Order: sequence, then C-alpha cells, then structure tokens
Amino acid sequence: MSLFVADGLVKRFGGLLATDHVSLTVEAGEIHALIGPNGAGKSTLVNLISGLLPADAGRVLLDGTDLSTLAPHQRARAGLGRCFQITSVFRNDSVRDNLLLAVQAQAGSSFRCLRRRDSERELMARALELAAQLGLTAVLERPAGTLPHGVQKQLDVALALASRPRLLLLDEPMAGMGPEDSLQMLGLIERLRGDTAILLIEHDMDAVFQLADRISVLVYGRVLTSGDAAHVKAHPEVQAVYLGTEAA
Amino acid sequence: MTPSFVSRPSFAARHAGVLRRLPWLVLAVLALFPLLAPLFGVEYYVGFMRRVMIVAIAAASLNFILGYGGMAALGHAGFIGVGAYTVVALVEAGVASAWLAWGCALVGGGVFAALIGAVSLRTRGVYFIMITLAFAQMLYYLAVSLRTYGGDDGYGLYTPLTLGAGFDTAHPQLFYWVVLALAALVFAVFSRVAHARYGHALRGIRDNETRMVALGYPVYRLKLAGFVAAGAVAGLAGGLLASHNAFVSPGLMHWTQSALLLVMVMLGGAGRRWGAALGVALWLTLEEALKMYTDYWHWPLGLLLLLIVFHAQQGLAGLFGSRAQADVGGQGADVAGEVDGAAQERAGSAEA
Repeated sequence: MSLFVADGLVKRFGGLLATDHVSLTVEAGEIHALIGPNGAGKSTLVNLISGLLPADAGRVLLDGTDLSTLAPHQRARAGLGRCFQITSVFRNDSVRDNLLLAVQAQAGSSFRCLRRRDSERELMARALELAAQLGLTAVLERPAGTLPHGVQKQLDVALALASRPRLLLLDEPMAGMGPEDSLQMLGLIERLRGDTAILLIEHDMDAVFQLADRISVLVYGRVLTSGDAAHVKAHPEVQAVYLGTEAA
Repeated sequence: MTPSFVSRPSFAARHAGVLRRLPWLVLAVLALFPLLAPLFGVEYYVGFMRRVMIVAIAAASLNFILGYGGMAALGHAGFIGVGAYTVVALVEAGVASAWLAWGCALVGGGVFAALIGAVSLRTRGVYFIMITLAFAQMLYYLAVSLRTYGGDDGYGLYTPLTLGAGFDTAHPQLFYWVVLALAALVFAVFSRVAHARYGHALRGIRDNETRMVALGYPVYRLKLAGFVAAGAVAGLAGGLLASHNAFVSPGLMHWTQSALLLVMVMLGGAGRRWGAALGVALWLTLEEALKMYTDYWHWPLGLLLLLIVFHAQQGLAGLFGSRAQADVGGQGADVAGEVDGAAQERAGSAEA
C-alpha cells in the first residue's frame, strides 16, 4: 500500500466544486508533483489534506491510518508536514527561536511551565541540526522577518521538517523567487529526496520536470492525468489546457 | 561603514545592571512602605497601594492572555466579579478564613474561565472581543439579580476575614503584606512561565496561529489553559478586592471595568513583564492625583491614552525596554536599524 493515499476528496464552496473527487497516492521516498493552471484547486487540495479545510467527502490515509477525522494539528503530529504558499514564519523571532518552536512542537508536552525553554539541551541540539541541514547556521540570530525572501522560504521548509514528517506538503515553494533562489530551493528539495516523501505543488515547470518522480495534473478540481514527466508532456489534453496556454 | 552597525545601545542595555536590580528594590520599598508611611503622615496611601497591587494582579493576568497569548478579552472584570462574589457567598455561609475564601475565589475564577473560554476561544478577533464581553455582562446581570447578595445595592462585608494567628484583614499592615507577597508571586510565576515551553508556545500562537497548527500544536487547548489560568488569577484579585473594599457590588464587573483593565495593560505595555504593574500604578496614581484638583479627571487621562497610542505603542515598558525584557514584541526599532545597516553596507560596497 502507498505511504499516502487521498481517496475521493470533495470540496464545495457554494456552487463551486473546487475539489472534484480527487484521488492520488504518494509512495515512500517519492516526489509527487501536482501541477495545474491557476484556480485548478491546488491550494484547496493541500488544505484538505492538511486539514485546515474540512473535506465534504473522501478520506486521507497516511501509512494506512485514516487521518480524515483528525484536527489539523493532530495530522501534523501523525506525520504530515507542510509549508505555505505565502511564507509563514515567526517574523519577529530569531531564526533560532523559530526552529526551537518548531522542534518543541513534537518533543514532549508544550504545557511545561517552569523550566526555561532555552536551557533544554535536546531542543537546542535538534534546532541547530536543522539549521545546519538547511544552511541557516549563519543567520541563527537574525529576526526571521529581516531575511531575504529565499532564506525565509528555507526557514519555512525547516519548520516543516522539524517533526521529521513522513509526507511533506510543499505549496509552491518557489513562488515569487528569482532564478538564483529557485535554483537553491531546487537543490534543497533534491537533497530531501529519500528523507521524506514530498507532495510538491509548483508552477515552475522546469523544476517540476526535474524533480518529480510522478506528476498529476489538476484541472477544474479534477485529476486530468497522472504519470511521469514524459507521459504528462505527451498527454494531448495537458498540452491543450496547461502547457499549451503556458507556451502561448 | 562599520559605525552604522554598532547601533547606540538601548536604554536597557546601558542600564542593564540597574534594571535587573530594580524589581528587588521596588519590592523592598513596597515592603517597607507601611512602616515608613506613618513617619511621613501618609498612612492613607497604604490602603491606596494595596488597591494598586490588587488591580495589578488582575492586570497581570489579563496581560498574560492579551500580551503573550494575543487574546483580546473584554470580559476580564467578570472573573474579578466571580472571585469577589465567591468571597461574599462564603462569608454569607459563615466562612471566616481569608485563605479559604481567596482560594475559592481563585478556583471560582478558573472554573468560570474554563466554561466561558471553552466557548469563546472557538472565535477570533472581534468576535472573541464581543463574546467575552457578552459573557461578562451576563455575569453582571446575574449579580444584579442576586437578591441574597444585595443585588444592585451590593453587599457589605462587615466582619474581616481571619488570616490566622489571631490576625485578620482589618490589620492594615499585615493585609498589605499578604497582598504584596501574592502580587510578587503572581508576577514571578507569570514571568517564569513566559520563558518556559508554554510561554513560547503561547507567543507563537499570538504571532502566527495557522503555522502553530501546522506544526502540530494543540492551539485550542493551549489557549484555553492560559485563559483558565488568567481567569483564576483574576478571581483571586477579585477575592482580595472584596476584602480590601469590605464591599462588593455588581459594578465591579461592568464591562467598563474590563475596558479599563485593558487600557491599563496597554498603557503599561502589553506583552511586557512589568507592563501590567506599570500601567496600573500610573493610571491609578494619576487618577488619585487628578481627583484632588478637578472633578473632570477623566480627560487628562484620555489625553495620556492618546499620547501612548500615537507615540508609544509598546506602552510605558516599551519606552525603556530591551528585547530581553520585552520577551519579543519591541523589536521593531532593532529590525529597522538592521535593515538600515544592510542598506548602507550595500551602498558602501557599490561605491567601492
């Protein structure tokens, strides 16, 4: 059985069917990319999977466990990590405090009230490890909000990785990035391959074709087709609705 | 270009040693005050200071959820009222021990906060403000309708509660010291919690709740825990206030009292360790002083509030606080400085 299964997810906003019986799987160690034109319902799907939006129908399974009835924070604890399309870090806190907060979420109870958090060695060690993994060691003391966009995005990914998620949901990690930052993010995602399975939502076609083991195309809330890069590139309908319009 | 990076040390940095000792100094002065006051003929102010400290306890609890947790509750006076009426109910039932009465006030405040918070914390922003306000007003009208406890007219506590060893709350110095000890304890505990895991989690929720959810934090339960703790401490303050005034009336929990408490916290600096104490001390002192000169003492206080809103949004504590003291929040200036420095560096290297 696949590591991750989304099975018949449905979401309606009034009369709009934003997610129309979407089913997809992600295998362990796989990078599965989700592409589709604007308004195809990509972000909605990510929110349905992570639980920020309640689904009208369908199931979400991680490692055979049904997460559908769980609250979003419980899904995160069960192994679903996610990043946000609009970079979501704690802007006023230093990078170190950002990482500590992310590490603390999964390391025992956050109801501890007496011991100074900053004197907890294990938390600090894990935070520094994450910083090293994502190349943030040099900016540990900087307030996150003062970092360049690309570095903030790296921090965003670091926060999601703190819990060692089984599946990482990346919602347009290269949105708004220049070529240089994009390249760096590309390298970062490449390095994550094998550590965690990734569901990658991305507009940058070059990046998608380079990274993804499998690609699903979402159009009007439905999965049009699923397959490797060659299959998707060759698919006539994909060319018409997506690549075609891109090229024009 | 180097000098632009070495920003002028902040007030707090320059006086770090003094500021670290200041709370202890203030504590010592406050502890000696009842003994010294008669020498200067200002015994009246022993009672005044006692009231300041009781209100500061309540304000500290509001600061905990507002400043650290980002929960703008407009019904905090409700919990003060619950505490006060708990003492009334116990006295009416024949309880004489102050400790038992105040302990029950604390528990009562916590229980009501749990009930009200469980519902209110499902909302955010303006809705949260309105729903906490609504609950507090319900408590207010409940108190008005309680004939047994005086209804609209209030309830006089004619017999002082016993403090043990033959002393009671009528003892001016001893009651003062008890309040001082409790206030110090409350501030110490909140300050401790702010630096523990829980405090960090609470500030994380204040700054970016969605991210906290995605990180796996049980946000609702964390907020509710803070809300209950704050309600309990406000209940304790209410119990103390009942003994201090020897009188309890529904007016205690009118929504304007909740608003006033909010104003005092903002004035002192929400999310600052000493914000609540500073705000309450300044507000009540000015009120006391202005009342001597004019019946229209509200409007100078209004002007002060405008000044704070326009020129010192971090409150009094923000005027001479550092990052360490501020527990995050007052970093705007530092951040601006850093960006400035970086821009200048770029300009410099471009010239080179």
